[in-house]
Amino acid sequence: MNLRLALKLLWRDWRSGELTLLLASLVIAVGTVTTITLFVDRLQQALINESSTFLAADRVISSRSPLDADILEKAETLGLEQAQTLSFLSMVFSDDRAQMASVKAVDPRYPLRGDLIIADEPFVRGNVVNRGPPPGRLWLESRLMPSLDVVRGDMLEIGVASFEVGKALIKEPDRGGGFNSVGPRVMMNLADVDKTEVIQPGSRITWRYLFAGDTTQLDTFQAWAEPRLPEDTRMFGVKEGTEGIGDALDRAERFLLLGGLLGVVLAGVAIALAAQRYSVRHYDHVAILKTLGATPNGINTIYLVIFLVLGTIATLLGSGIGYVAQSVIVQILDPYIPVALPNPGVTPVWLGLVTGFVCLFAFALPPLLKLRATQPVRVIRRDFEDESITDRFTYVFAVAGTLGLMWWYSQDWYLTLLIFSGGLVALVVLSLVAWGLLRSGRVLGMQAGSAWRLALAGMQRRGQENTLQILVFSLAIMLLLMLFLIRTALIEDWRAQIPENAPNHFAINISPRDTDAIRDLLEANNVQSQPLYPMIRGRITTVNGEPVAQWVKDHREPEVTRDTPRASSGRNLTWSATLPGDNEIIAGEWWPEDYDGNVLVSLERDLARGNNLSTGDELVFNIQGRELKARVANVRTVSWDSMRPNFYIIFSPGALDEFPSTYMTSFHLADDNKLFLNELLREFPTMTVIEVDAIIEQIQQIIQHVTMAIELVLVLIVIAGGLVLLASIQASMDERFKQHAILRTLGASRKLIMGSLIIEFAALGFFAGVLATLGAEVAVYGLETEIFDLQYHVNPQLWLLGPVIGTLLIGTIGTLATRRVVNSPPTTILREL
Amino acid sequence: MIKTTDLGKTVNTSEGQLTILKGIDLEINKSESVAIVGVSGSGKTTLLSLLAGLDTPTRGEIYLGGYELTALDEEQRARVRGELVGFVFQTFQLLGSLTAIENVMLPAELKGDRDAASRAKELLGRVGLEQRLHHYPRQLSGGEQQRVAIARAFASSADVLFADEPTGNLDNATGSRIIDLIFDLNREFGTTLVLVTHDKRLADRCDRSIQMSSGMLGTRDNEVVTG
Repeated sequence: MNLRLALKLLWRDWRSGELTLLLASLVIAVGTVTTITLFVDRLQQALINESSTFLAADRVISSRSPLDADILEKAETLGLEQAQTLSFLSMVFSDDRAQMASVKAVDPRYPLRGDLIIADEPFVRGNVVNRGPPPGRLWLESRLMPSLDVVRGDMLEIGVASFEVGKALIKEPDRGGGFNSVGPRVMMNLADVDKTEVIQPGSRITWRYLFAGDTTQLDTFQAWAEPRLPEDTRMFGVKEGTEGIGDALDRAERFLLLGGLLGVVLAGVAIALAAQRYSVRHYDHVAILKTLGATPNGINTIYLVIFLVLGTIATLLGSGIGYVAQSVIVQILDPYIPVALPNPGVTPVWLGLVTGFVCLFAFALPPLLKLRATQPVRVIRRDFEDESITDRFTYVFAVAGTLGLMWWYSQDWYLTLLIFSGGLVALVVLSLVAWGLLRSGRVLGMQAGSAWRLALAGMQRRGQENTLQILVFSLAIMLLLMLFLIRTALIEDWRAQIPENAPNHFAINISPRDTDAIRDLLEANNVQSQPLYPMIRGRITTVNGEPVAQWVKDHREPEVTRDTPRASSGRNLTWSATLPGDNEIIAGEWWPEDYDGNVLVSLERDLARGNNLSTGDELVFNIQGRELKARVANVRTVSWDSMRPNFYIIFSPGALDEFPSTYMTSFHLADDNKLFLNELLREFPTMTVIEVDAIIEQIQQIIQHVTMAIELVLVLIVIAGGLVLLASIQASMDERFKQHAILRTLGASRKLIMGSLIIEFAALGFFAGVLATLGAEVAVYGLETEIFDLQYHVNPQLWLLGPVIGTLLIGTIGTLATRRVVNSPPTTILREL
Repeated sequence: MIKTTDLGKTVNTSEGQLTILKGIDLEINKSESVAIVGVSGSGKTTLLSLLAGLDTPTRGEIYLGGYELTALDEEQRARVRGELVGFVFQTFQLLGSLTAIENVMLPAELKGDRDAASRAKELLGRVGLEQRLHHYPRQLSGGEQQRVAIARAFASSADVLFADEPTGNLDNATGSRIIDLIFDLNREFGTTLVLVTHDKRLADRCDRSIQMSSGMLGTRDNEVVTG
C-alpha cells in the first residue's frame, strides 16, 4: 500500500510545485555532468587522434630487424590497420652532385594518420595527399633539390637503381625533430627498395610498423605484443613517442579530468542543497503522516519510492539533456574548434547515468532519510525539531559517494586523496573563519532602523545557516578560481615553451670562411638569426686523471635514468666568450669576455650532476685525435626547447682555435620568406639546413587546441558553479522570505527590505570571495606542484578578483532570486511557507 | 479506553532538567468526552501528546484501547495511531500540497483502504464542504480548514479523537460551529473524545473536565476552571 501511496504523494507533490526545485537541480546536475563528461571525452579523443598524426599511426613498433609474422597476423586478426616503412642512410647521386640522404621507403597504406604534403616546387605550400610516391619515383625534401641541383623530372640514383624526381616533399607527419634525422629526406616506394641493392646484411636499417584502430583493439594488441618483442624493438604510442606533445596531452587530460571531477562535486553540492530544502519543507508533512498512522518504515518506503522515481526521471532526463547540450555546444563552437570531434561514445552516457545515480544516493538520500526520524509530536510542539534531525551517520554517504566518484573519474588514488583531504581541511578552516567573521561584534534585536543594520543583524542571527552558506559559496567560487588559475598557468607554460618567432631552421656544416657571408646574407634578407657557433666533435677521456669509463662506473649517480647524458659519449663542442642568452649559471662563474688564460670549460647541469662532475674538476678531451686539458669553471642550465643552438660543453675563448671546425646557427624564417632557402642553399651548397618550422607549427596547433578544450571545460564548470550558488540561495529562501514578509506587514518599506537583501547577499558574497581566494591559493599551490609539475606563483590579482566576483555574483543572484518578497503581498508569501 | 499510571515527563533544557508532568493517574472510558484544561505551561498539551502516542514519557505506563503504548516502539505506536486515533489540531495541520479531499483520504490511504475517495467525499459533505473538494488549504478560510481537519479525523474510523485547542485559531462564531460539528460527529460515531482547550464553551460540553496545574492533576466533574 505504501508504494501506491508513495506514487500518489509524489504526483501530488509534483502538481503543487514542491518537487520542481529538487527535480530541476537533479536534472541540471546530471545534465551538467553528462555534458562535461561527453564533451571532455570527445575532445580528449580528438586531441589524441590529432596528435597521432605525429606518429602517422596510433601505435608504432620500431625495430632493427624485420618483425615476426605472427605479430602482424595478430594485428590483422584484431582488425587493426597496418602500414610499414623502412629507413636507411644512403648516398643519392644526381648528374654532377652527391648527397648523403635519409631514405624512407613507404608502402601504399602509409600514412595511417595525418597527411603528406607535396608540391611541384621546393619550399612552397603544397597539397595534401594521403599516400606515398608510386614505384619508380622519388619525393625529395625541399632542400635536397637545390643542393643536388635537380628539378622535377630529373633522374637520381640510389644504389644501382635510378629514379625520376617526382615531387618536393614539404611535410611528412612522422618526421620527428632533433638531430637524429639529420640527413635530408628522400621518400620512395617500399616496392623499389630491393632493386637498389643498398640493403645488405649488417646495414643500419630501421623498420617501422604502423598500427591504427580503436582504443580497445590497440590496448589488446599492445598487451599481447609487447612481451613478445625482441630486445632492440620498441613499441610506443603518441605519448611515449613524442615527448613534448605527450606532456602537453597528459597535463590537458589531467585538467579535463579535474574539471569533470569538480563538476561532479559541484553538482553533488547542488543536489544536496536542494534535497535538504525539500526535507526541511517536509518535516511537517512527515509529522502529520505519522500522527495519521504512518510508521517510520512506511515513511522510508514512501520517500525512497519518491526518491527513486524522481531520480530515475531526473537521471534519464539529465542524460538526455546533457547529450543534446553537448551536441549543441559542439555545433555552436564548430567554427571555433579547429579539431574534428569524433562521435560521442556510449561510455560517457553510461558514465553520466551512473554519476547521476551515485550523486543522488550520496547527496540526496541522507537528507531524505532524516525524514524518518521526524517526531510526530512536532505537530503540537515545535521545540522538538532539532534533536531529531542530526544524524551524523548519513554524512557517510556523502563522503563515500564523493570519494568513490573522484576515484572512478580519475582512476588515481593519489589525486583523489589529495583533492579530498585538501577539500576537507579547507572546509574545516573555512567554516571556522566564516563563523568567526559572523560572530565578531554581537548586536541585539532586529535593528530594523536601516537597511545596513538590518542586514548585518540578520546575518548574525542566522549565524549557523549563514556560515554554511558562506562555505558553500566559497567552495563554488574557490573551485572556479582554482580551475581558472591552473588553466592560466598551463597555457602560459605551454606558450613559453615555444615563443613566437622562435628559430625554426637550423643551419649546420657552415665552413669557417662562409660565416661572414652567411651572416650578411641573412641580415640582408631581414632574417633574425642566433650567433654562429663553431662546432667540433670530441669526447672526454679522463676525469681528474681517471679514465672516463672508470669514473663513470664509480661516480655516476645511481638514480639517474637512461636519458641522462653520459660523460663518456662523443659530443658537439663549441667555445664562446659570452654566456648564451637563455642559459643560467648554477655553480661557478662565467669567464670574462676577454679571457685569455688556461683552458676552461662550462658543463650543462644534467651532464655535470649525472656524472658527478663539479667545478674545479680536471678534464682531458680527445678532439680529432689530439688531447686538450680543461678545468671545469662552471655549470649551467640550458633550455633545450628554445630552438637555439644548445651545447652540453662550451670552452673558453681561444681554446679550440687550433682545431678546424664548422659552424652552426639557427634562425627564424617567416612562412612567406621560405623561398629564401633556395637562394641560401644554392649559394652555400655545403651547408645543411634543417627545417623544423612544420613541427613547431604542428606543436603550436595542438597546444592551441588543447588550450581551447580547457577553456571550454572551464565555461561548463562555471555553469555548474552558478547552479550551486542558485541552489544554495534557494535553500535559504524560506527563512528570509518569512522574516521579510513579516517586516513588510509591520510596514517596512520596499527600499529597506531590498536594501537589506542586497547588503546581506553582497556581504555574504564578499566573505565567501575572500575565503575562496585563500582556499584557491592553497589548493592551486598543491595541484600545481603535485599534479601538474608547474612552477607556483602567488597571484596578487586574485585577491582583488575573488572578493569582487563573490560580491557581485552572490549579490546579484541573491537579490534577483529573493526580490519576489518585496513584489508580492506579504500574506501570499506567508501562506506559502 | 485510556489509562495511565504514575505518568511523568522530564526534559533537558539549558537550565537543567525540567519536569513537565508528575505522577498522572488517569482513566477515560469508552465514548466519554473529556476536556483537559489549565493555564499555559501546565502540561496539558504534553499530556495529550503522550495519551495519543505522539511522544514517550520518562516514567509510568499508558494504555490505549488495549495496547500498552509505553511498551511499544515508534513503529508499533504508529500502527496503533493509524488504527485507533484521530486528531484535530489548533493549527489544522493539513498538507499544503494536497487538496481538501486528498487530505481527508490520507488516513484511509495509509491503511490501504480502497474506498478512501468515496468516504472522504461523504465526510466533506457532512462538514459542509462538498463544494470545496479540490481546493488547496491555502485557498480555504481557517474555519474551512478546520472542518477539513475534522473530516480527516473521522475518516479513519478512529475510536479516540484527540483535539488540541481545536477552536484556538478561530473567531467565536466559527468556533461555535466547529464545536457543534465535533460533538455531532462524536455522538454519531460513538468516539471517545479527549481535548485540550482554553475555551469554556467547549469544556462545558464535555462529560468531564480534567484540571492541570504545574504538571499535576486535579479532577472536578462538571466544574471547569480555565486559565
